[in-house]
Amino acid sequence: MLGTAGLAAQGQSGAEIPKRPLGRTGLEVSALGIGGYHLGSVDSDTEATQIVNEALDAGVNFFDNAWEYHSGLSEERLGRALKGKRDRAVVMTKVCTHGRDKNVAMRQLEESLTRLQTDHLDVWQIHEVIYENDPELIFAPNGAAEALLEAKQQGKVRFLGFTGHKDPSIHLKMLSHSFPFDTVQMPLNCLDATFRSFETKVLPEVNRRGIAALGMKSLGGSGELVREGAVVVTMGLRYAMSLPVAVTISGIDSIEVLHQNLEVARGFQPLSAAEMQSIRAACRLDASDGHLELFKTTKKYDGDLGREMHGFPSSAELPV
Amino acid sequence: MPNTSNAIPLRQFGRHNVKISAIGFGGHHLGDAPDESTAVRLVRQAVDGGITFFDNCWEYHRGKAEAWMGAGLKGVRDRVFLMTKVCTHGRDKALALRMLDESLHRLRTDHLDLWQIHGVGFENDPDLFIRKNGAAEALEQAKKEGKVRFVGFTGHKDPSIHLKMLATGFPFDSVQMPLNAFDASFHSFEQQVLPELNRRGIAALGMKPICGHGAPVQKGVLTGEEALRYAMSLPVTTTITGIDKPEVLQQALKVAQGFEPLQPSAMQSLRDRCRQYAADGRFELYKLSLQFDNPEARLAHGFPLDMQQVEVREMLKMTDNSGHPFPPTK
Repeated sequence: MLGTAGLAAQGQSGAEIPKRPLGRTGLEVSALGIGGYHLGSVDSDTEATQIVNEALDAGVNFFDNAWEYHSGLSEERLGRALKGKRDRAVVMTKVCTHGRDKNVAMRQLEESLTRLQTDHLDVWQIHEVIYENDPELIFAPNGAAEALLEAKQQGKVRFLGFTGHKDPSIHLKMLSHSFPFDTVQMPLNCLDATFRSFETKVLPEVNRRGIAALGMKSLGGSGELVREGAVVVTMGLRYAMSLPVAVTISGIDSIEVLHQNLEVARGFQPLSAAEMQSIRAACRLDASDGHLELFKTTKKYDGDLGREMHGFPSSAELPV
Repeated sequence: MPNTSNAIPLRQFGRHNVKISAIGFGGHHLGDAPDESTAVRLVRQAVDGGITFFDNCWEYHRGKAEAWMGAGLKGVRDRVFLMTKVCTHGRDKALALRMLDESLHRLRTDHLDLWQIHGVGFENDPDLFIRKNGAAEALEQAKKEGKVRFVGFTGHKDPSIHLKMLATGFPFDSVQMPLNAFDASFHSFEQQVLPELNRRGIAALGMKPICGHGAPVQKGVLTGEEALRYAMSLPVTTTITGIDKPEVLQQALKVAQGFEPLQPSAMQSLRDRCRQYAADGRFELYKLSLQFDNPEARLAHGFPLDMQQVEVREMLKMTDNSGHPFPPTK
């Protein structure tokens, strides 16, 4: 009977969205977070505001963003929607130096703060650490790592992190520098588990150090996993949320998608180890060549600014 | 010993008592020649210039590259060592053998000197190759039937996938891979695969000496001649270079005729010069993107197509559909 009660709580409308500690920061964040990129893809400003407000009211408090998303529109929309409610949210955005220096980072920080209509960020992360020499460039003298520390010292940001979607070895290279990261964001889904796996290579290391793990791309980045039939939406999201992460950041581009994901998050209880294993096993064949994790195997998810800074063709010239 | 002759050096093909020219004629670029008669002339001039190794592939320009090379080799077939590749990309033996017959027909010959598995670039390719009824069995059968003398594989993606292919234990005669002054310090085939091949007596075939389409040469990082000399100085049997026009052939012949390997210090200085550009792979897009993965590979593995790619455009033209594998597999 206990089992039945557990199942009933799953997706129960009245139940709360669980909160988890954000690493050792002392903050608590909702197990589901709202992705900033998709906020810029939403049809109208009004709907974007509605998504943020409904999410807040449902108990979601983690909001992701990046300086370069939709040339600032994503940050502007979040800023507008959070007006008067800023203190209820844990606001994260990302800096997009792509190898450039501290000054570029500090300028971007000011722009992000203005667009987000706030005087401080809760988390500031280095965006898109996906090129193999990014760690060297970030930790070079006068590089972005220094900007992170300076911004923290100035009280403009509370906690620091980085993100990337390409290769666990690049994440580990970042972690090999003795830098006090509070958060690390990475793709985590049921296919990643058996292919160039952040789940097996990075997540344990991050947990061991007490760094908050932020999961993303639970359905492949644009729903590839679902479209190609590897997994159904709810199961894909539940898999990602059941991993030892602080939050799973989910891209939400309509109210309908928000409702669907809130349904999964309310009263969420992690899948059992056996259920996780059986999902991994069922996905293994689909995972084995990376054709549904295009962010790892192709250029498709690599932003134009980063490509330009690294001398790669633009997304128009080299779509995948 | 200084090379006093002006001939292109011949090198031993792995553990076999066969010699091939230190430079090889890349088949893909032949399909970029303006017309068949230019292509035929290029092939003839290459043979006369001392090139004996000819590379091709079943899917290059949807067969045009093989057909033009076949026309160019008419009457001189026995003077060259002819290689082409099969494009199963994980699919089965029967498909491979059908492709072989098409390749032989287009190349106007009854046998290949070398038949290689094309585009081994996805992590599960080695498993699919060695599985029951997979392409490995086609290589064995073709060899037994006398249609091919030697067998190998090629790929441009990741040294670890090459090593996985070698770990299948299949008796490969040759292995082809990108080798250039950028590869030397980034996901390096030179470091990780080449020594293993030399140890096993497998013929190493280098490709992409100027990184495919010559981007680092256009950007002025090094000259075409320097790039080619670097690749040819590595412990390889041959370096395959793309040839699409007479000037390119002349440049290749100029470097190859009377070729002497660079000194270790010169090699090191080229590596050093390229290192900063190698660090993020900007000139080796074949390792980091699908740019050099042809439609057969993408479709067989379910990756998106790229409408800019010549093979994709040819495929759509020929099959008049929205991009199904050809020949159909289901």
